[in-house]
Amino acid sequence: MTFAAFLAIAFIGTTLALLLRRWERVAVTIGLVGLGAAFVAALAMDPATRLELGGSVLATSPYLRLFLILGTFVGSVLALIAVRAGPRRDGPAVTLGTMGAAALALASPDPRIAVLAITAGGMLGVLLTIVPTGGRVGAGVGLRDLRAVVVAGAMAIAATAWIGRDLADLVAQPVVFGLAYLAFALAVAIRFGAIPFHILVGRLTDAVPETGLPILIAWGPASLAIVGLAWVDASIAPLPVDIGPERAIVVAIAIASIVLATFAAWIQDDLEHVVGYSIVGDAGVVMLAFAALDPAAWTPGRTWILAFVVTRSAFAGWAAVMRDSFWTGSLPDLRGWAIRSPLLAVSLVVIVVASIGLPGFAAFEARSTLVNLAVDGPLAVLVLIATLAPILYYGRLLAIGTRRLDVRSALVVDWRPRWARVDLTDVRGSASRLGQANRVLGMTLASLVLAVVALLTSVGAFGGPQAAAGLPPVETIPGETAP
Amino acid sequence: MNPALAAVAIAILAGAVGAVSVRDPRIAVLTLAIVLVTTPFLADPIIPATGLVARVLGAVLATYLLWIPVRDGAFTTGGSRLGWPADAMVAAAAAVVGYASHGLGAPTTGPALASAVGFGLAALAVAPILTGRDVVRVGIGLGLLLQGALLVRVGLGGSPSVMDELITAGATGVLGGAIGVLAVTARSDGSAGFALADELPPRRRRATDLRPDPRPSSHPEERS
Repeated sequence: MTFAAFLAIAFIGTTLALLLRRWERVAVTIGLVGLGAAFVAALAMDPATRLELGGSVLATSPYLRLFLILGTFVGSVLALIAVRAGPRRDGPAVTLGTMGAAALALASPDPRIAVLAITAGGMLGVLLTIVPTGGRVGAGVGLRDLRAVVVAGAMAIAATAWIGRDLADLVAQPVVFGLAYLAFALAVAIRFGAIPFHILVGRLTDAVPETGLPILIAWGPASLAIVGLAWVDASIAPLPVDIGPERAIVVAIAIASIVLATFAAWIQDDLEHVVGYSIVGDAGVVMLAFAALDPAAWTPGRTWILAFVVTRSAFAGWAAVMRDSFWTGSLPDLRGWAIRSPLLAVSLVVIVVASIGLPGFAAFEARSTLVNLAVDGPLAVLVLIATLAPILYYGRLLAIGTRRLDVRSALVVDWRPRWARVDLTDVRGSASRLGQANRVLGMTLASLVLAVVALLTSVGAFGGPQAAAGLPPVETIPGETAP
Repeated sequence: MNPALAAVAIAILAGAVGAVSVRDPRIAVLTLAIVLVTTPFLADPIIPATGLVARVLGAVLATYLLWIPVRDGAFTTGGSRLGWPADAMVAAAAAVVGYASHGLGAPTTGPALASAVGFGLAALAVAPILTGRDVVRVGIGLGLLLQGALLVRVGLGGSPSVMDELITAGATGVLGGAIGVLAVTARSDGSAGFALADELPPRRRRATDLRPDPRPSSHPEERS
């Protein structure tokens, strides 16, 4: 029942917010309230519910519940930061719709339905690309994003349709299994913007605010990746066919993404681009889970996905607060930022620890396991070292923050609380002035909250590894026994 | 071969050829509507009434949302550079390939015509998606590609469930809405109609979401 409530809140809230988008304040309020209600519904969700709907079964699981709890919470905080930081009326609605589509997809035992739901959710993302001024440019970026979503969706639909039937009398060459596997893996790579499909990420970072990037290129694609991992484990991995060449392509995409995207993030001078390419780099590890073709990759793959999306959301939130606090996202103009805003520095350090991880952290162990499962020999050591390379761009950010103050960053940042006497004859005005005076502090604290949630997720504190070890939903209806 | 299914298949392919070949966006949208509305009928057995109604409503919604930016006929779309006969040949050739390779070596539970039309739609979608220079043309290509993939799925796996059709209807409506919003956004910026921008902004600082500093004279540039 709570799952049905979650779906109802997500889809009705999204529809209402989009229908009323002409009135920005109303649309944003509906979206934010919807996200809050969805968070409560996710918390109350029974992780073992079965719902029969339209001849199909939807089944919840602890992993689905955790994904939705974290997604709606992180999405709410990002939406709040976005509301304070810049004009994007559709952000909360798109986040809510993406979570609704993810809920539908992760609860469906049928990958064909799941892929379709994720594709529909991904199409909503184009609304985030519409720039308040210069609409034609935003429309162009949005169209590119839409093209990636639909092409990836068509590939995944075709792949799941080909294998989703009785193949006992198959007379075709086994190569078609490899092609189906490759099609799904490429679909996931396209959605993540993995190299060589990274051009889209570069364009998106030009048009989409930092707070929207995780929804577009992390949370939505992550749900497709989770569905894909379940499909690969059930349909491809058990087959006694050689799909070595296709697997090699997926490994190449994964390694290229890990190495080159990290390098790209390191040399970028804009915070949005650093955030965008950092997501691509971490998505490379997700591609390693596809390349492993081993049931042992199931748990670490899903554990990593959870940690990756939350950590990157925290990083994006931090970048948005940085831009709002210092009035720029250009790194050369941000010299001395850490001195000016120590709380933001603490926030970044927490994000660094969550992202890179330490031995014993759930995310760290999951990433190491995936590398070892997907790559053999000395290359595994090199790839493992490459996954730690994000320390380069984090180090650069911190180094810039501790350098001598630049005149541009000499802006006074209100990172400490400001108190003012309340005027009892004008309580509302006093509260408004107090809120305005502490605006940056509030956003900084929101960034800190995201960073702490990311750290806890990376450690495995929310039960991520246990939830990730659970089986995917199976196609049974109440009263029947699962095979 | 079921003659009713064959008639539906011909209608879908004819609509798709019209959608990708004409330059008047109103005709393109209306012919795309034929594709969207008739596609759910290309299944054997026919899908349950609930799913059918949902699909038709989704198609109508998508058409309406696409119609909004093009209804005044003020701007054209790219259309086919080779003309509709060439597009028809492409669709026919791809349909023959789809029909002949139906199932790709394994038994199927859906009609071969669905695979044939699915291949035809996918082939017609290639040129608009890869070479389209305006929102409407690329959007029509994306609509055809999605419907093509769904038809191939019907050909391989049989008639979808009601749940499947509900989500498909939602996806169709969302796609129509997304293209419609992008088209409205493009045409409201300048006089180039639905054309995409020739160049994207340089990859550096974005000015669009910069907030004016609420504290007067606190920023050095502002002071100067």
